[in-house]
Amino acid sequence: MNLKDKYAIVGLGYTPQGRVPDRTASSFHVEAISNAIKDAGLEKKDIDGLICYRHFPSLGGEPDVTPYLVAQQIGLAPKAMSQEANCARSQLLNALGWLEAGLCNYVVISYAHNPLSGGRFFGEGTDNYTKAVFGQFGATSGYAMAARRAMHTFNTGPETWKYIAVGQRKWANLNPIAMMHDRTMTFQNYYDSRWVVEPLRLFDNCLVSDGGRACVVTSVERARELRHPVVSIMGIGQHNPSCEIEQATHMAGPTGAKISGMTAMEMAGITLDDIDACEIYDCFTYTVEITLQDYGFFNPGEGEDWFKDGTIEPGGRMPVNTSGGQLSEAYYMGLTQLTEATMQLMGRCGERQLGPKTNTKTPEIILCSDNGGILQTHSTTILRRL
Amino acid sequence: MVYQKPLPKPNADDRFFWEGCKEHKLLFQKCLDCGLVRWPPSIICPNCHSNATEVIEVAGRGKIYTYAVYHQAYHPGFEKDLPYVTAVIELDGGPHFLSNLIDCEPDEVKCDMPVEIVWEDITKEFSLPKFKLVR
Repeated sequence: MNLKDKYAIVGLGYTPQGRVPDRTASSFHVEAISNAIKDAGLEKKDIDGLICYRHFPSLGGEPDVTPYLVAQQIGLAPKAMSQEANCARSQLLNALGWLEAGLCNYVVISYAHNPLSGGRFFGEGTDNYTKAVFGQFGATSGYAMAARRAMHTFNTGPETWKYIAVGQRKWANLNPIAMMHDRTMTFQNYYDSRWVVEPLRLFDNCLVSDGGRACVVTSVERARELRHPVVSIMGIGQHNPSCEIEQATHMAGPTGAKISGMTAMEMAGITLDDIDACEIYDCFTYTVEITLQDYGFFNPGEGEDWFKDGTIEPGGRMPVNTSGGQLSEAYYMGLTQLTEATMQLMGRCGERQLGPKTNTKTPEIILCSDNGGILQTHSTTILRRL
Repeated sequence: MVYQKPLPKPNADDRFFWEGCKEHKLLFQKCLDCGLVRWPPSIICPNCHSNATEVIEVAGRGKIYTYAVYHQAYHPGFEKDLPYVTAVIELDGGPHFLSNLIDCEPDEVKCDMPVEIVWEDITKEFSLPKFKLVR
C-alpha cells in the first residue's frame, strides 16, 4: 500500500542548544516533547506513541535515560513505544507503521543528549577490543577510513569538502539558534583547522551538542485540523549495508543511500529534478558528498565541480543543510534534518527562509537523509508542503 | 613496564584467533562448503549458513585497503604514539583485517601498498598482528 502523502509532521519541539551546562539528557527529552506537543496545538492526552532516538549511556550519575523514564516524566503510558538503541534509523518507519496499523493517532519522536557539558565526545567504542587493541576508536576514524578509500577511488578530498563546511556555515550565520551563528568560516579557516583523524580535520566533523529535538507525526487528515501548514511525508526509504566499516567494500559508494533514495523517490513518484532543497545527515563533510553522489546528484568524482560556485549556499541552486546542519547548527541526529525541512516547508525560518529572502526557490519538496553507524544504515524521507 | 593499552578479551567465538596469535600464526575460519574465509568469527558462514568450518593459517601478506592517521588520542595508552596509523589490510587469501601500520611515516602511506606482518608480543598472554610496508 502506498503511503505517499498519507502522514504528516505537525509539531516541532526545540530546547536551549549548544553548551547547556547542568542539564540532564532526560530533561531535554521532556522539554523537547512538551514543546512539540504545544507547537502542534495538541495536548498530552492526545499522544499515544513514543519513540526515543538513539539511547546513549547516561552521564554524570543520571539514571539510565530509557524511553520508560521519558514516558514517566512526561506522564504518558503510550500504546506503542520504541526501545531501539544505537544507530537504527527506523523512527519514522515505526511511527508510520503504528499509525497505519491503527495502534496510534499521534506519535512523538524525540532525541536528547548532554555530551558537551557531560564530557562525552565521539570517543565511543572503547569496549570493542578487536578495534581498541589497535587504537581504533570513535566515529571519526571509521569515516576517515571511508573518506581515504574514496580519495583513492575517485576525485575527492579536502578540496571538495571545504565547499560543504563553508557552505553550511553560511546558513548557520543566518540562523540565530545555530551554535556557529556568530562565527564565519573561510576556505583558509577550513584548511587551518587541526587534523583529528586524517584525512578529516576538525571542521569536517559535526558538532557535539547538548539539547533535544522532537516532532509529532499524525495523519494528513488530522493535520488539516491543526494550526500549521500541512507538511506530508511524500516518500520514505531505508537501506542497511550493516557491515562494519573495517570489512566493508561500500566505503566509496554505493552506500545505503542509493537503494534508500531510490525507494523513497519511487514512493513519492518524483525525480531529483523535483527536489528544491536537501537536508543531508552530516556527521562529517564526506557523508554529505557520498550521500548526494549516491542519490545521483552528480557522478563519482564530480562533487568538487558540483559544489563549487556556491551550489549549496544561500542563493545557490540546490540549498543543502539550511540550518547550518550538524556541522554548524547542532547535532540532534536525524531530527536536525527532519525538523529543519519541516520548518522550511511551513515557512517558519526567518532570515534563512528558502525563497525570495535567500534568493532561492520557494520550496515545495525537500529531501532529508539520515545515516548511522559508519555508513551502516541509511534512511531517506521526502517531505512536501501540501 | 605495565602495558598501557587495551588488551584482548577472548570469547567463545574468537579464542582460537588469539591463541594462534600467541604462536605468531594468523588464523581464520574457512567455510568447508563455499570456501569463504570470514572475519569477524562466527559459528556459521554468512554466505551459505553452513556450520562446517576449518581453521586455516594465512601468510600475513596483503595490501592496504584504506587507513587513518590519528592526530588525537582517544585512550591515554596511545598518546605517545601520535601520530599513529590504523589500517584495513586486504589479506592475501584472507579477509579485510583491522590493524596498525608500524615503522613508517604516515605521509608515505598510500592505499594498495603491499604490506607484511610483524608480530608484537605485548604481554605474556597476548601477541598482536601488526603490519609494515614491504620495502
